[in-house]
Amino acid sequence: MLIHIRNLWKTYDMGQAVQVQALRGLDLDIERGEYIAIMGPSGSGKSTLMNLIGCLDTPTEGTYELNGRTVSQLTDDELAYIRNKEIGFVFQTFNLLARATALHNVELPLIYNGTLASERKKKAAQAMAAVDLTDRAHHKPNELSGGQRQRVAIARALVNSPSIILADEPTGNLDSATGAEIMQLFNRLSKQGHTIILVTHEHDIAACAERSVHLRDGKIEKDERRAA
Amino acid sequence: MGKLQTPIWESIKISLASLRANKLRSILTLIGVIIGVMSIITMVSLISGFNKLVADQLATLGSTTFIVNKFGIILSDDDWFDAMKRKDLTLADYQAVVDGCSECEEVAVQKVSNRKVKYGREHFSRVPIVGITPNYMKVVALDDIVDKGQGRVITEFENDHRRQVVILGPELTEKFFPMLDPVGKKIRIGDVDFTVVGVPKKRGSFLGDNQDRFAAIPFTTYQKYFSNKSEPWEGLEFFIKAKDYPTMEKAQDQVRAVLRARRHVPYHAKDDFGMVSAETLMDLYKQVTTGISFTLVGIVSISLLVGGIVIMNIMLVSVTERTREIGVRKALGARRRSILLQFLIESVTLAVVGGTAGILLGVMLAKIISWTTPIPAAIEPWSIIAGLLVSTGVGVFFGVFPAAKAARLDPIEALRYE
Repeated sequence: MLIHIRNLWKTYDMGQAVQVQALRGLDLDIERGEYIAIMGPSGSGKSTLMNLIGCLDTPTEGTYELNGRTVSQLTDDELAYIRNKEIGFVFQTFNLLARATALHNVELPLIYNGTLASERKKKAAQAMAAVDLTDRAHHKPNELSGGQRQRVAIARALVNSPSIILADEPTGNLDSATGAEIMQLFNRLSKQGHTIILVTHEHDIAACAERSVHLRDGKIEKDERRAA
Repeated sequence: MGKLQTPIWESIKISLASLRANKLRSILTLIGVIIGVMSIITMVSLISGFNKLVADQLATLGSTTFIVNKFGIILSDDDWFDAMKRKDLTLADYQAVVDGCSECEEVAVQKVSNRKVKYGREHFSRVPIVGITPNYMKVVALDDIVDKGQGRVITEFENDHRRQVVILGPELTEKFFPMLDPVGKKIRIGDVDFTVVGVPKKRGSFLGDNQDRFAAIPFTTYQKYFSNKSEPWEGLEFFIKAKDYPTMEKAQDQVRAVLRARRHVPYHAKDDFGMVSAETLMDLYKQVTTGISFTLVGIVSISLLVGGIVIMNIMLVSVTERTREIGVRKALGARRRSILLQFLIESVTLAVVGGTAGILLGVMLAKIISWTTPIPAAIEPWSIIAGLLVSTGVGVFFGVFPAAKAARLDPIEALRYE
């Protein structure tokens, strides 16, 4: 079991004794190698769940085990370590460093775990090759198309060989043709054995995944599996 | 649990890249620190250059020598009016001091007034003409004429016989006798002819007083030709050398007792004459420069404070601008420490680059001032080190707050920041 979530609660204090319960006792298990879409309308707790799975935040209550390690009560720096080693983020807005080359952007996670420069270059180049962007390695993000930027971001997510690739609306800022291209890339990565979690509200994006989890009011409403 | 290690040079590379990306802003940010450090270096160089000069000059007076005159050290208008009312020192006073001071090795007399000095078509108007007794040379280090200058000193014989001989300041001889040996040449002071017997080496100017522009003649000759009751400086000055350093104070006391008695100074009244030694001059000088130094330190501190605040302000702007970048870096596994270091290195780099530029400019400015004005400069190695340390300190002190702010950012908030 890669992800084991039991009775997960997340309560936000909005001040003046107003509390918002974004997650209300959610249970979720994800196996290694799964390709899963998390869906739901806005306010359903989708973003909160993604932040928790991504170790950007800690739950108010409940347990979250990632790769056999309980990560629900870790300190900031310990969470940083988990994010670096276990999680590859892909954002809707790409979030590349504008001043750095594509290759340097891909190297970033390796810089933060102290990988030696020579090995870093090699791994970053491999990740760039995995998204077919070897020839764009030395371009800056503003010299790349939206689709290319998202592929750089995916290369960055892959470079540390994480347990999970966590993609938040990865096609949200792309036209549908480019979006389809990116989804093909995810499909390919899934076939290569990567665990992919897509957070989306678009049904045709979710349709790429083998499993889709629907959230509503902080709980799982529906958990569907499709035969691959 | 493993630990993420970001090597320090990677942090440095990240910081430098972002400084380079904002070149103009970085340079503008530096200006405060540049000015601050530049002031430190320039001020310290000038003050210490001046200190050296003063110490050198006072050394020529010697530690066992003191001067007695009508005025002493004048620090205010009141001092001046008081002193103007005093009686001149006379030859009779001189004789009394010679008789009454057992600890005095030599008591020399000097008398000064300004005259025109001429040689051929060249002339200087208003040259201090100094009438001196021959032992003056033993009291004041003017006898380095013998080894470092040209010619010789004035002899007892010349003084006894009112000879028209002169020791001429190097500034005059350079104009009168370029490329020639001045010794033996005849010049004219006022209406009287004099033969040059000696020229001391150049000493430069001291506290605005040009020490190479004078003509020294035997005291008796001075009395014969230039004595003039209407001159305000008619009074004598005594240059007294004590036997050795320990008896210096005793010699001063003896001279004081003799003069007070002769001049009928009441028991509780102040001396109606001045006594000046190298020590009193040094004390006075130190008093004055300590005040100046403190003022300068204050001014420099303010400019560094302003420079530091500018750095802090820019770093805060930079943190806000790069909130999203910080969020991304955190999402990718940057620890608080990495973010803190990234921003701290930026502010320290800014301050150190500013400090280095300030040091270079300060050294240049000090050199330029010492070349173009009579003010000397001595560049102190410790001031350069202090400049670097202070600018690093400014970078750390004013960089910590913005860097800590960046490091504390919540990654979720930061990623959402527009």
